[in-house]
Amino acid sequence: MGSNAAANHPISMKWVQKAKDNGGILISVDPRYTQTSTKADIYAPLRSGTDIPFLGGMIKYILDNEKYFKDYVVNYTNASFIVGPKFDFQDGLFAGYDPKTRSYDKTFWAFEREQDDRVKRDDTLQDPRCVYQLLKKHYSRYTPELVSSITGTPVPDLLKVYEAYASTGTKDKAGTIMYAMGWTQHTVGVQNIRTMCMIQLLLGNMGIAGGGVNALRGEANVQGSTDQGLLFHILPGYLAYPRANQANMEAYLKAITPKTAEPMSANWPQNLPKYFVSLMKTFWGDKATKENDFGYGWLPKLDAGQNCSWLNLFDAMYEGKIKGFFAWGQNPACSGANAHKVRQALGKLDWLVNLNIFDNETGSFWKGPGIDPKKIKTEVFMLPCAASVEKEGSISNSGRWAQWRYKAVDAPGMAKPDGDILVELFDKIRALYKKDGKFPEPILNLKWDYVDAKGHFDPHNVAKEINGYFLKDVKIGETEYKKGTPVPGFALLQADGSTSSGNWIYSQSYNAAGNNMARRKKDDPTGLGLYPEWSWAWPVNRRIIYNRASTDLNGQPWNPKRALLKWEEGKEVDGKKQPGKWVGDIPDGPWPPMSDTKAGRYPFIMKPDGLASIFGPGLVDGPFPEHYEPLECPVPKNALSSQFTNPTIKIFSGSMDKHLTCDPRFPFVGTTYRVTEHWQTGIMTRWQPWLIEAQPQMFVEMSEELAKLRGIKNGEKVKVSSVRGELEAVAIVTTRFRPFKIGDVTVHEVGMPWCFGWMTPKNGGESVNLLTPNVGDPNTMIPESKAFMVNVTKMEGGA
Amino acid sequence: MTVSRREFLVISGVAGAGLALSSLGIDMGPVKAYAQELKKIDKMKSAKQSTTICPYCAVGCGLICSTDTKAKTIINIEGDPDHPINEGALCAKGASLFQTTSNNSDRLKKVLYRAPGSDKWQEKSWEWALGEIAKRVKATRDGNFIEKNAKGETVNRVEAIAHIGSAALDNEELWPLQAMMRALGLVYIEHQARI
Amino acid sequence: MSEGYSILVDTSKCTACRGCQIACKQWNGLPGTQTKNEGTYENPVDLSADTWKILRYSEGTVPSGAPFWYFFSEQCRHCLSPGCMAESEKGEIVQDEKTGAVLFTLKTKSLNYDATREGCPYDIPRQNPKTKELFKCTMCFDRITNNMIPACVKSCPTGAMVFGERPEILDAAKARVQELSKKYPNAKAINPDEVRVIYIVTDDPKKYWKFAAGK
Repeated sequence: MGSNAAANHPISMKWVQKAKDNGGILISVDPRYTQTSTKADIYAPLRSGTDIPFLGGMIKYILDNEKYFKDYVVNYTNASFIVGPKFDFQDGLFAGYDPKTRSYDKTFWAFEREQDDRVKRDDTLQDPRCVYQLLKKHYSRYTPELVSSITGTPVPDLLKVYEAYASTGTKDKAGTIMYAMGWTQHTVGVQNIRTMCMIQLLLGNMGIAGGGVNALRGEANVQGSTDQGLLFHILPGYLAYPRANQANMEAYLKAITPKTAEPMSANWPQNLPKYFVSLMKTFWGDKATKENDFGYGWLPKLDAGQNCSWLNLFDAMYEGKIKGFFAWGQNPACSGANAHKVRQALGKLDWLVNLNIFDNETGSFWKGPGIDPKKIKTEVFMLPCAASVEKEGSISNSGRWAQWRYKAVDAPGMAKPDGDILVELFDKIRALYKKDGKFPEPILNLKWDYVDAKGHFDPHNVAKEINGYFLKDVKIGETEYKKGTPVPGFALLQADGSTSSGNWIYSQSYNAAGNNMARRKKDDPTGLGLYPEWSWAWPVNRRIIYNRASTDLNGQPWNPKRALLKWEEGKEVDGKKQPGKWVGDIPDGPWPPMSDTKAGRYPFIMKPDGLASIFGPGLVDGPFPEHYEPLECPVPKNALSSQFTNPTIKIFSGSMDKHLTCDPRFPFVGTTYRVTEHWQTGIMTRWQPWLIEAQPQMFVEMSEELAKLRGIKNGEKVKVSSVRGELEAVAIVTTRFRPFKIGDVTVHEVGMPWCFGWMTPKNGGESVNLLTPNVGDPNTMIPESKAFMVNVTKMEGGA
Repeated sequence: MTVSRREFLVISGVAGAGLALSSLGIDMGPVKAYAQELKKIDKMKSAKQSTTICPYCAVGCGLICSTDTKAKTIINIEGDPDHPINEGALCAKGASLFQTTSNNSDRLKKVLYRAPGSDKWQEKSWEWALGEIAKRVKATRDGNFIEKNAKGETVNRVEAIAHIGSAALDNEELWPLQAMMRALGLVYIEHQARI
Repeated sequence: MSEGYSILVDTSKCTACRGCQIACKQWNGLPGTQTKNEGTYENPVDLSADTWKILRYSEGTVPSGAPFWYFFSEQCRHCLSPGCMAESEKGEIVQDEKTGAVLFTLKTKSLNYDATREGCPYDIPRQNPKTKELFKCTMCFDRITNNMIPACVKSCPTGAMVFGERPEILDAAKARVQELSKKYPNAKAINPDEVRVIYIVTDDPKKYWKFAAGK
């Protein structure tokens, strides 16, 4: 659900098939019967944008039928936490909503605390204000009949899915979810995923082998690029980006370092100051000292609440506020929602630097369809770069495995690895700032020695800096470490400037043992497919995060047949009991199990209170997921409440920001997806004869019923349009889309791939993002590319 | 990393299919259907093998590149049978990786520049292009530098330059890239993860 | 090894990842041809001198009303008694004794194409219109005689394609059909005694492709 792994993460199906061979059941929930659905034991259709009702109904089912794993829920989640009396939920809105600012005052959702500041709990789960009871109340409205009338899923199909999946709430069964953009690309995207997290927690499926909430990442190294902080709101290692009202490092560290009154919570984020200071030492080297706040002042600051994410970025560009732009290995002219706005925005730039291995619609936007080059003043630099096999370095997959890869040949012609390009570019910039310029300090003080003896970019050099070093001789515990040696891992990073690390979560990846990312050992001691010595996973090679939750309070695996982790008591030696230890995967910290109420720790070590959140008071749109319709939807109201759409989303209102909901001009739900043969905007794959042969043209899949309605024959060219744009596509008339019965209304849905663009091949078709809306999830601002409204007509303009 | 080819693609047996065919008494004029393959399988035996990870979907499949070290071109890319994730399997995109290499004549091989109002590219040198980009970065940064915000708080940032990309780069390229952009004062730093 | 090799193609495990179709192109250096979308994911829509392995897609509804989408990854069956060889009198087409691979040589340009194609129950042989040579799957003869498995088989992630010695493959086919029959009473292996490339289907073979079980 929320993904189509067979099409878009094809080799993952090797392991799904193996699970099926071992008796596993595959459930596919998708608006369309997909490649994954063909292998599923259970398929259920649902209208795009209605995942929360679907999953909310499952929560109700799990609670009503007592399918949850009680010991797990009571001990490892915040189900027992008492929520303060200010919390309420009425008719689609949580308490604390301000319609003027379209935001919530989250203090209304705060937990009730004891005198010592620990959260009040009721482990019997009876208190009417405990999370469990509030959860039950919240989802009591999500009856199968009401859910079915929203999602269009027939009630028997809902119950089939609920029954099958809820059966994994026992100790000996595991259930996992593979999700992707089918969940993220919605104005309720984060809450979609949250609902599933809550289900997994209720069923005891987090932290166990075969469990988890598994994001199928979309690009080879999007995991790595996120880890390394290439987003406005985070520094490497997910440290929150500093804000202007955090005037010095102390204020910043205070703001980002959580405290807990819970004695059994590890509250690992209490160590964040060590990681930030170590990061600053990697940024500025010797120039970062205690006296200058380790260079904190050299980092540019965001205003409190300032959001520089993608949709805002292109809005600012469209408004002419952005003059220079690096589109570095990305093709926003085809990947950006509301792509006409993106393409117009590019024309407002003074200069654009585009790096890629092939020509693309972004670097060549100035000669795109409907654009008169004479009117475009933008200077464009197109820099040819190396393909994946023409350079050396690591990339991190969906499982957090950072895998090293090697150079087979040089890049062709003048093309260079991006590492070389960025080193040379910044060298030139620094040379200019050596002479003069505004606020040159951060530019000149940045540690910038990532080259080998010959002056070429050296990925090994960088990898070791990311791992981290001791910057002076130190003694930690009983062990002495020499200046210049790699830190073994992040547990040894310090907040006093004596260590450096470019990214604490990657610390250990390249230490004294060598390049752990390049390992190729196939041993699998647990037999669970962890392969602990194949490459290296963050953090500290832990293969399954929160694995302490896979054991009971005594540290014994819930399921001894799939023992991920097990506590072994120490033996008695000379009358003294030796310390116990965990065997299996790398444990989430060495502390003993929870039954040791002094030294034991709760399993969710990155949560300040050590327990997982069924009630999540930190998101901007509510502590419990609630159904709201997509911004553009086919129905006049939300069947669950008077709150039509997510009340906290930002709605752009410029001339290019059109949207139109429940309107007869655009009567069909449109969705977008990928195909196996192409990748993302297609700018790598559309240039490949074998792949374009296999999937040559833009198409739109529609039901036989819709085709009949519009008089469309299979294989004929049709026009698909939204209020933002239109394009031509070949009609694929199929049984795999069926009309949905939504209440009394028949709703048709169509789907299109987003892998085409005007550049190549000729007659290949345009990007579906010309149709999609630039509205995003309020927590992440990921655009709602999965549910919007379109029209489909024959090319002659009939019907 | 030069690893013995025995570890990856263990290609053994008789030299080429030709021998087997001739044992069937067939006239061995170039059997065209196989000429390419014969050449290929023989080339494979002396090729340098290196491992890589697929640049597409993040499942993280392993592949083996076979490089003709004389011609300095890749002659074959297929799955790495030793990789625990894919065990040699590849989907259409991974199987097609050969066509992302220099074997694809559409690869960008020149530094190009497009002047304002122009309808065509000009070829330039790296030295020129990077120098010109550096000048523009400086001019735009210095001309639009924001020292303090409306509240009077020190921010030292640049909103007039934005950067996006890339989930296609290596970790070791990404870290210095974000450091560089932040040192320049950029706050509009985004990439594929956001969409 | 005396019975040669076989390939099992279990369509019930195929996810249409198209790795096999592309792997064949990659290994054999075959060009990508010009195509257009004809209202299906299937492309190219037929075998040709340049396409020796093709994913055939078919869709419809099963009696219960649910949709079906079948994937049939077609290639030469490498028959035990190849019908295409009827026209071959001077070694234009050969059958390797050891492996069982049926191979078109350069000399096929002198064969009667129509008759040769007619002779194949599965309609496999295709001609290069310029050179008149005939082409089809080679069972990756060069690979299998060098300790490698066919490129398509190697590419397959789900085990839909398996390569091995014929007796083992026949056993595997039998076992799989037995297992599938519990859920799919019409499950069968197609002509296992006649061909080396054995397809397993869960429905009427004609629903996958008109010539799936022969003309």
